[in-house]
Amino acid sequence: MRPLGFYRAILCLLPVLHFLLHVGFGMGRGAPDLLAVGLLLLAREVRTGTAAGIGFFLGLMEDAFSLLAFGANALACTLLGVLGSRSRELFVGESLLFLVSYLLLGTWLRAALHWVVAGDDVRRDATRALLIEGPVDAGYAALVGVLILLVTGVWRRDLSV
Amino acid sequence: MPSFEPDQFESRGRREWVLSLFFIALSGLLIALPSPAQEQVAGVFRGTVLAPFILVQESLSQARVRAGEMAELQQQLDAATAALSAQRTLLDENQRLRDLLELRERAGPGFQSASVIRAGTRGSESMILLDVGRDGGVQVRDPVVSAEGLVGVIREVGSSTSVAMDWTHPDFRVSAMTLDGAAFGFVEPRHGAFREEDRLLLNGVPYYTTLEEGSAVVTSGRGVYPRGILVGAVESLAETEAGWRRGYWLVPAVRPAAVTHVLVMTTEASPSGDPRPGDEGVEAFWGLWADPPPDTLAPLVETDIPGGAEVIREPGDPDLPPDPDTVPDSAEPGP
Repeated sequence: MRPLGFYRAILCLLPVLHFLLHVGFGMGRGAPDLLAVGLLLLAREVRTGTAAGIGFFLGLMEDAFSLLAFGANALACTLLGVLGSRSRELFVGESLLFLVSYLLLGTWLRAALHWVVAGDDVRRDATRALLIEGPVDAGYAALVGVLILLVTGVWRRDLSV
Repeated sequence: MPSFEPDQFESRGRREWVLSLFFIALSGLLIALPSPAQEQVAGVFRGTVLAPFILVQESLSQARVRAGEMAELQQQLDAATAALSAQRTLLDENQRLRDLLELRERAGPGFQSASVIRAGTRGSESMILLDVGRDGGVQVRDPVVSAEGLVGVIREVGSSTSVAMDWTHPDFRVSAMTLDGAAFGFVEPRHGAFREEDRLLLNGVPYYTTLEEGSAVVTSGRGVYPRGILVGAVESLAETEAGWRRGYWLVPAVRPAAVTHVLVMTTEASPSGDPRPGDEGVEAFWGLWADPPPDTLAPLVETDIPGGAEVIREPGDPDLPPDPDTVPDSAEPGP
């Protein structure tokens, strides 16, 4: 068994790290989407309604910097929280492969949801946003997310691929 | 009681779904909120939960500026001091003449320097946070400029921070003109495939007015922005509507992504308390970003009249031959 309290604390720190890198250090797209990573992992630990609430709150925080598509992040993250929570009933797995796939798909889904919900002012070319940038960003976020979990030791016991 | 537990689970499951739907509906409501209400909500978050992150970037930005090339700054300071001292006599003379004519002080804008803070989060395009606010005299709709030209406009003001939109925002519009005043139009942004490809379009230029490539385009003074702020330079013809109007692509004077430090043009320094710098302070900006235009109020001097005589021509004088520059090209179709 991994230490649940420590694991959840790390998950809660991921969004903080996200805002620190994006807003505090102004890294923009150079920083991974740790908000999605944190939300996806937290969503599997809590009930659906709570996951939706967490997603809403985190999305709203990101929307605080959005002049063009206010609410788009909140809706995307709420839906992601719900889907992440429901995924427990569809997929049971704690392997590294599952973790990477889950984070990759979830982060891409978040970008896709935001692209759909955001208005025309923000929405760019679909091919570029969903098939080029989306997967690259998702891969980057998944990689960094897994690395953080491995480095902090919260996933050490479950390294069975 | 075997039937009790499934009911309890079912009820809990239903509650979770209701809660989820509530948050989804709330998100939808946020999207539908009017812009001022959205900004209020965003402002609350920026002022509370997100304030430490903004503070971190603000501190980093200031440290970066302080650690910047001090020698270059010193050089600029020396140059500015030299320029100011050279203008001092002109200012004194101007003041004396104003006193003689009993004219009041010219209302001019004040400048508040500000560091640019970027959120860098999804959807935060076209938005910049500035570390000056109401305390520094900043108001909503104050123009934001840099050494290169017009950056954007203030959208929201807090006590010590403010939110501005840069020219890539879809709502950005500015009334503009060429330096010689030959063409007026509206400048609006056009999105490219990449954000770096965003550019400006000077729209609504009269059909018979052709603009040279490289011509500087400045704010015309109609609306929010005072006259004379450099917006960009004409790049090429973008579109025409036969016989009615032309649109020109502009090379923006400022690339918002590269801006780290800006000036907010406030009305604090206005002794008359005018809400906008307006035309009274116009001349203050000529020469800041571009060469000053010819004095359009002065009589035009015609030197190419046969016989070599100089003819003083007032603008719009019907007794004189029309200005060749304003005559439509006969080869082009009429409206």
